Amino acid sequence: MSKEPTNKDPFADRTRELFHESVDRLDGATLSRLNQGRQRALAELDRAAPHGQWLRWVPVTGVAVAALVAVMVVNQPGQVDEPMTPTDFEMLIEHEELELLEDLEFYTWLELADAEASGDVG
Amino acid sequence: MTACTSVFAVSWPRETRTETTVLEQRRQLDQFLADVERRALRIAEIAVRDRDEALDLVQEAMIKLARNYAARSRDEWTPLFYRILQNGIRDWHRRQKVRNRVMVWLGRGQRGEDDYDPVATAPDPAARAPAEVLQSREALQRLEQAVRGLPPRQREAFMLRTFEGLDVAGTAVAMGCSQGSVKTHYSRAIHTLREQLGDVW
Repeated sequence: MSKEPTNKDPFADRTRELFHESVDRLDGATLSRLNQGRQRALAELDRAAPHGQWLRWVPVTGVAVAALVAVMVVNQPGQVDEPMTPTDFEMLIEHEELELLEDLEFYTWLELADAEASGDVG
Repeated sequence: MTACTSVFAVSWPRETRTETTVLEQRRQLDQFLADVERRALRIAEIAVRDRDEALDLVQEAMIKLARNYAARSRDEWTPLFYRILQNGIRDWHRRQKVRNRVMVWLGRGQRGEDDYDPVATAPDPAARAPAEVLQSREALQRLEQAVRGLPPRQREAFMLRTFEGLDVAGTAVAMGCSQGSVKTHYSRAIHTLREQLGDVW
């Protein structure tokens, strides 16, 4: 498996040419960030154990996911076109920023409070 | 010779070889990543329409390649790297879909999709005439729009084959499908793009 000789199709050649022009136009700040990413990747060669930093968020995200799933099961919103699974939420929150986690916790609390006030939950 | 010196005599050359191997592996991986990273970034950027997100995806792919496949032969790195990257892009799109549904559910709407234009702000290092630059950028913009409009698997096949220059076998590994599927996806992608862009060029 390797690189293929240049395609003789003029259309493909033109698209390739445009693409490589855009690659050559990448700015210095972007190239610097690529270099930083590469150095982080190379640092992996020195590490014996896999990363476990995401585990720090397990308690927070676990609670947020469980509460939000519970709320969304209780209160079926009209705008959601297909059911969401806990896996969807885990996948989302595993990569999401703190702001979204805080939002989710706040809105979950808000929904639960509303539901309790109206007697839907508990 | 004491037991201690015997151990030293046996183990020292082995450690030296290991160190040499690790250093050589690091050098080769550094060279490989430096060669592939800019094209990978642009491919990811076209797929997700966000440079910061694309940078994160490329870095994640580089780290996973180094962590899991550094010991593989260099010939295998390109398709493996792009397989990791494509999986990351697919996960990203899935997360965006779920994220948007959560945001809609929370009443906060979706992220705008038409406010990103990486071409408009890019400098022109070749210092060409403004008209030529404009023509080239417009062509690139139309190409990117057309590529983004392709079904995901056709888009992957087209970018890996045309932009990265992978052969059919390498593209099949990167996409996790058969070579026949690669040929079909690529052929359909080229046909669609030629229909949409042929008159421009």
